[in-house]
Amino acid sequence: MTPTGQPHAELDPRFAPPFPQAALPVLRNPQLRKNVAHAIDIIQAKRGRLVDEKDDWQQLRSAASAIRSHVLENLGAYLEEFEARCIAAGGHVYWATDAEEARRIILEILRQEQASEVIKIKTMTSAEIQLNPYLESNGVRVHETDLAEIILQLGEEPPSHIVVPALHVNRSQVREIFARKMGLPELSDDPQILTAAARNYLREKFLNVPTAIGGANFLIAETGGVAVVESEGNGRMCLTLPRTLITLAGIEKVLPRFDDLEVFLQLLARSATGERMNPYTSLWTGTVKGDGPERFHVVLLDNGRSRILRRPVERQTLKCIRCAACMNACPVYRQTGGHAYGSVYPGPIGAILTPQLQQLHHAQSLPFASSLCGACYEVCPVRINIPEVLLELRSQVTNQERGQTKRFLDLLYLGLRFANFLFASSRRFHLAQRIGRIGARLVTRKDGWIHSLPSIGGKWTQTRDLRGLPDETFHEWWANRKKEAQ
Amino acid sequence: MTATSSSRETILAAIRATTAATAKQAGWLDEAYQGLPRTYNRIGRLDRDASLNLLIERLREYGAGIAETTPEALPDAIAAQLASTGKRRFAAPAALPSNWLAPGFEWRVDNDLPTGEIEHCEGVLTAAAAAIADSGTIVLHHGPQEGRRLLTLLPDIHVCVLLASQVVETLPEYFRQCISPPELVTWISGPSATADIEMTRIKGVHGPRTLHVILARDN
Amino acid sequence: MRASLFITCYNDTLYPETGRAVVALLERLGVEVSFEARQTCCGQMHANTGFRPEAFSQARRFVNLYRDAEQVVIPSSSCVAMMREQYPTLFEELGDETLRREYLALIPRIYELSEFLLDRLQAEDVGAYFPHRVAYHASCHGLRQLALGDRPYRLLAKVRGIDLAPLANVDRCCGFGGTFSVKNAEVSSAMLTTKLQDVLATRAEYLTGLDNSCLMHLGGAMHRQYAGMRTIHMAQILAATASCPAEVVA
Repeated sequence: MTPTGQPHAELDPRFAPPFPQAALPVLRNPQLRKNVAHAIDIIQAKRGRLVDEKDDWQQLRSAASAIRSHVLENLGAYLEEFEARCIAAGGHVYWATDAEEARRIILEILRQEQASEVIKIKTMTSAEIQLNPYLESNGVRVHETDLAEIILQLGEEPPSHIVVPALHVNRSQVREIFARKMGLPELSDDPQILTAAARNYLREKFLNVPTAIGGANFLIAETGGVAVVESEGNGRMCLTLPRTLITLAGIEKVLPRFDDLEVFLQLLARSATGERMNPYTSLWTGTVKGDGPERFHVVLLDNGRSRILRRPVERQTLKCIRCAACMNACPVYRQTGGHAYGSVYPGPIGAILTPQLQQLHHAQSLPFASSLCGACYEVCPVRINIPEVLLELRSQVTNQERGQTKRFLDLLYLGLRFANFLFASSRRFHLAQRIGRIGARLVTRKDGWIHSLPSIGGKWTQTRDLRGLPDETFHEWWANRKKEAQ
Repeated sequence: MTATSSSRETILAAIRATTAATAKQAGWLDEAYQGLPRTYNRIGRLDRDASLNLLIERLREYGAGIAETTPEALPDAIAAQLASTGKRRFAAPAALPSNWLAPGFEWRVDNDLPTGEIEHCEGVLTAAAAAIADSGTIVLHHGPQEGRRLLTLLPDIHVCVLLASQVVETLPEYFRQCISPPELVTWISGPSATADIEMTRIKGVHGPRTLHVILARDN
Repeated sequence: MRASLFITCYNDTLYPETGRAVVALLERLGVEVSFEARQTCCGQMHANTGFRPEAFSQARRFVNLYRDAEQVVIPSSSCVAMMREQYPTLFEELGDETLRREYLALIPRIYELSEFLLDRLQAEDVGAYFPHRVAYHASCHGLRQLALGDRPYRLLAKVRGIDLAPLANVDRCCGFGGTFSVKNAEVSSAMLTTKLQDVLATRAEYLTGLDNSCLMHLGGAMHRQYAGMRTIHMAQILAATASCPAEVVA
């Protein structure tokens, strides 16, 4: 158990329980649900105000979508351009086909640098490749430097949101974690004081650890530049103080030109945290004499992205700029938070990205973890039609299941196949309605409603009544009316 | 690292196999890029004065100090601003005009200052490259008058001199005015902040917790 | 004017009174209503659960049945959304060119009920009388995919005697989501509870909407919880007059 009373949720899609199952303990956790709803409401309100004040918001979205699609259509060319420019500016560029290779490359760089510890800026990509446990088990101490990440690292908790990863943890829980791990028994739970404690704790690390690992929000092909967007300043610390900087970035992160940032920087902060601009955005190009790291390494990660690129409908998944607006808008995420998704990428984007990165061998329940309401698509700054991709993935997962014997045990599967058989003929359909009506009478109470159904019907009636079947269907009424008219 | 050169080929081959295999004449990528639709606002709507007032408003919103002056009165305004901090030890980039380094303060001019010395400075005085009114953003390109990046990162107070002519209203206008992409950029829009504890916004995690902007109206 | 009514599989079976109301309403407005007796389902349930070949066979059947219809009225925004948003994919993936062209010719003639009333009949005031406090639930498909906009509100505003109560967080999903309500029953129920808080806070007697699917989900919980509110499809409100009040079943 962690300080938040959670069983240690598994964020490895290969081992995580299916979404309906994973959601259950979360749904029964009032504190987590309250924290999630509270966080979401704040961000959504701020975002809403800023979007309303921007009269070219839709045009920005269109431009961003077009630029990202263009990049994906020409990804090879832009990656090669980035690589050439980055190298010319003094950086080293490596290509990793998968998570294992990326980890090995990073460890090799650390060995070369004789680095036994690193300071780290939060990056989802490093969580995706499970970098921290790998480095730790190879004798490298990893110091997370984002406040949320420290909370999670010291508290041994998994993240539950892309942008506000510790939103499921409240202040007294943070106080408890810091008091214990930073040796500050007298610490109060005032967020101001907790933040100051973290500032002091980290200062020492920033000034003394010569190697940093971070991610990238954008790679600029035209210049070989890298942009990192942040709020706390730990990014700036890690990007300028150490001697060696390693940047891990998914291959889809590239933008064509420096000027394209004028679109994305307007969209990102408003979508992610409801600000016009986040406090600090940093851009650097290779190494610069006398300013910042002497050695700069970029590890470009594929890990399934080139495969996603192949698929015409699903390719848009890669347009994502990791703003988390989709999960802030998602009514499902509001109830479950991130842990239920069993992946470092939760929410609507996680529901489409995670199964694809797993080549649909795992996380097959995630495309179904949605009511298809479309709120995510409405807020996505790069116009990813998430519902469209969800439906495509549902089709692929169902086709997978057709070949499996377990489908004969799945009542919903059998029921839908049978329903299709009925719908193919109005006579069959009408007969089934008549039989169903008779059967329903057996479970209909005196008030005319069904309060309890067995098996899969029980999934409905566990929280909802169902009105009993009327004595006459519409088509029967119509046929009778016609007869009477004659 | 030769080990990854085969991975490089694997990845690029996988990418090329999926993306359009149309004949690539020289410049076609550029043409496609130029054809991308951009109907968002490329220019602002406010006149210079309104822009400056907007910048001041935004800076005030996030708690930055702002003092207005003229280019002639700049050294005095700087001295007054520095005095108001109550601090004495200030860092400064090497190429700042010497009359900006007001007397009565302990100046640490950055001619390869050791990190420890910068860490012990109580504040830093710099110029800026630009400012964006709409978001209250100060932009540093870390040129000779702005100093290397850690100079504006370690000290707790940042006094920043801005000329009115450096202010644009919108982000796209900032990009329009960059003749070529800078090697280093830091966009600062408020003190560092976190909302990671119960979404309570706390200002000042890392980096200067106080920003004072001196705006010299050089119309 | 003539219109063919596609009642939808679940309305036919569970909510025939909605169909009766649509007929009464359209006939009152001078529309000659026909009903294709061989209709069954649009395929949405199957398409949304990943059963595309099955959904396709139903979609093909629909297009074949309605190919020559002057126009089709459907009292279900999710079914219309299915036809506009997913039929193209189904016909591209599984159909042939002829079928696809027939679909393209047919789709402009398919209307959700409020679209038909306002866009085709220009009838904002349909002569309805419903003296009750009512809240309107905006189903996600109607809100986002069909972009119904203010159509439902314009229609309700002209109902005599109605007391229309605004619903907070009106654009938040109720949690039905078709088979989602069963595949993810617990999450669906949590979303339902959150939605019900806003719904009950309106202190309305009736919750109305353009989709009986959402109303079945919300109404089922209202009934279970003795909430003192019921659901009613908007067709039944619009069909109601002083002499012919709404058919409220249970």
